[in-house]
Amino acid sequence: MKKFIRKTSFFILPIFVVTLTMEILLRNIPNEYLYKKEYLDKHSNEIETLIFGSSHSFYGINPAYFSSKTFNIAHISQSLNFDYEILKKYQDNLHNLKTVILPISYFTLFNKLENWSESWRVKNYVIYYGMNVSNSLVDYAEVFSNQPKNNIKRLYDYYCRGNHDQSVTCSKLGWGTSYKSENSLDLVETGKAAAKRHTKDNIHLEKDKNIFNANKSILNLFAKWAQERKITLIFITPPAFETYRKNINIEQLKVTFQTANKIAIEYDNCFYMNLFSDTSFAGKDFFDADHLSEIGAEKLSKLIDKKINELK
Amino acid sequence: MLFNTLDFAIFLPIVFILYWFVTSKNLKLQNALLFAASYFFYACWDWRFMFLLMFSTLLDYFTGLKMQDAYTQKSKTFWFWLSIVVNLGFLGVFKYYNFFADSFAEAVSHIGWHVSPLMINVILPVGISFYTFHGLSYVIDIYKERIKAERSFVDYAVFVSFFPLLVAGPIERATHLLPQIKKERAFDYTKAVDGLRQILWGLFKKIVIADNCAELANQIFNNSTDLSGSTLVLGAIFFTFQIYGDFSGYSDIALGTARLFGIELLRNFDFPYFSRNIAEFWRRWHISLSSWFKDYLYIPLGGSKGGNWMRIRNTFIIFIVSGFWHGANWTFIVWGFLNALFVMPSIVMKTNRNNLEIVAKGKLLPTFKEFFQMATTFAMAVFAWVFFRAENIDHAIDYVSMIFSKSLFSIPQGKAFLGTGVHPYTMLCILTLFQIIEWNGREQQYAIANLGVKWKKSLRYAMYYAIVIAIFWFAGKEQQFIYFQF
Repeated sequence: MKKFIRKTSFFILPIFVVTLTMEILLRNIPNEYLYKKEYLDKHSNEIETLIFGSSHSFYGINPAYFSSKTFNIAHISQSLNFDYEILKKYQDNLHNLKTVILPISYFTLFNKLENWSESWRVKNYVIYYGMNVSNSLVDYAEVFSNQPKNNIKRLYDYYCRGNHDQSVTCSKLGWGTSYKSENSLDLVETGKAAAKRHTKDNIHLEKDKNIFNANKSILNLFAKWAQERKITLIFITPPAFETYRKNINIEQLKVTFQTANKIAIEYDNCFYMNLFSDTSFAGKDFFDADHLSEIGAEKLSKLIDKKINELK
Repeated sequence: MLFNTLDFAIFLPIVFILYWFVTSKNLKLQNALLFAASYFFYACWDWRFMFLLMFSTLLDYFTGLKMQDAYTQKSKTFWFWLSIVVNLGFLGVFKYYNFFADSFAEAVSHIGWHVSPLMINVILPVGISFYTFHGLSYVIDIYKERIKAERSFVDYAVFVSFFPLLVAGPIERATHLLPQIKKERAFDYTKAVDGLRQILWGLFKKIVIADNCAELANQIFNNSTDLSGSTLVLGAIFFTFQIYGDFSGYSDIALGTARLFGIELLRNFDFPYFSRNIAEFWRRWHISLSSWFKDYLYIPLGGSKGGNWMRIRNTFIIFIVSGFWHGANWTFIVWGFLNALFVMPSIVMKTNRNNLEIVAKGKLLPTFKEFFQMATTFAMAVFAWVFFRAENIDHAIDYVSMIFSKSLFSIPQGKAFLGTGVHPYTMLCILTLFQIIEWNGREQQYAIANLGVKWKKSLRYAMYYAIVIAIFWFAGKEQQFIYFQF
């Protein structure tokens, strides 16, 4: 028995050492999650406008064009439950907060980060935000939550190639900087693919209904929270290119619009900007069929800022 | 808790250390530990269904004792049927109720009746088909007086719920497993190392082969209407390896894990894709289920004693029931039916007991005839798997129709694989290497059982590390084990 334990330990030891070293090195690579968390730790009491949401707001709303002190706390694939977790974590420090921007995209009400292909991102909230949001041990380690070849690529890029500037892909105010218009993608192909990815087979399935109900409750919690503090809450459905709009499920879209509208009517501090089919956003404003480029982001940000100023 | 997770990598060493260091001097304590660990393992998936498992265990334990102690045949028969009806009742409600209700409504709609059947909204308890079959074989064996009822509840509960086999088999027999549970177990270094080696190979099959094939197969099956026949053939082949890697990988991990605890489980796979006909394939695929159906259904139905017609009838029955066992969907029934059709020539010609030995035993390569037979059997298996994998019968028929179109002779479409983690040609290379290793080790219990045992230690370790690196490097998106849903 002792021989077995000794030999097994001897075999596992190098694997353990490599894994631990990789974990330490990966955690030391700067990233948006750590950056935003540290920003909120230091500046949350100064923020007047806070932007939540997924990639649609991460790339689509640039705080630099806001007249108030604004920060973008959105992350790729961030679902409403994680928006709410961030809000809960920092709510006591947001003394100056006047406006909250909460995007409600076509897929927002029918998705949870934990339940789709981007679920590996949950570890970022556990490791960098220090949130207790997962029961899976995998989410407590960088090395287990992502595919090894991706981890090795990250390590190689940062430590061997010295790509230190590219590890954090957001501006100082949290806006995603990678979707540049000069690198924009095929709007037809991305429209079809994204619409398919974001569309539920059947929104009446029990599991989808449960996710929808949970997300609706979070919207209500946001609205109630904002009402109690006299904070303006703006729901936004961001613009999407026609190739995306053409390929989506009308019923899913209708339920999304109706839900956002209903809550906006119910709470007097809550407003809904539905820009989904806004024709002022043309092809050049999009990076792909459902994400804005820096040109579109400027346009959208100015529109939202104008709305905030009108509401004052 | 899945075998291919970090949770299991922590759970297993803890149970192993407690088992051999804390409870090793006391068999009762060892079995109590296995009982507690198995229930914890099951509860990690959904604690509520732990009570169903407990109820099923208690039912068979008590009915077993009642049958054993019955003074009259009538009383014995009563307890026997009580257990059978309740066990199959649970299986029927959880697994088949919605299917029957839906099929009934659809059937009567053809004669103009429109009924809205009451559907139940309940998830299928993981492993219910497996532990129910454990219990059924135990009760039937007592009724037939092949075994005596087990008096120790803990020992019986370990037989039903032993965590390596709890959720996806192998389907054990009381005659094989219970004596091992009741016997003192001593740690055996060679067996434990062999167990670890088998676990490693099982993880390779699951993570490298099955999970990567799954990504490619899912992509093709989900978009089958837009793809060419040649691409669909590739999709079916990827699924063929996915299901083999998934289920035989699971079985390897289960057998290896059990061996770490000094327990030998029934072998479940014996290189089925090297079979020379479908009858041989079924002696090598999911062996514990095939032999279960043979012993508890085929033989009681008369087996092959009543001549050709009875053999044909009984073969169709067990294949269709076996298909239905896999799930409440017509696709599984058609899959079973197809396999029955494929096996029929050897049943009629009474050649189904040929090829009992592994192909080309003791030789490096098969003969041309053997190679042709293996290729034909593999093609038939691939064809049948399309029905197993398809969402419904229409999907399967469309898929097969598209395969047999002109586009079968075109080059597979690259767009079919957009967004998948591994390139299909890389995967084909991995599958080729995998088949070479499997072929090389086909006379062993699992492919790498003997690989490198005579090599230098450093070289052998290098091979194991290479497998570990391959597991990490080619780790696909973690997929649920397919057989958990059955």
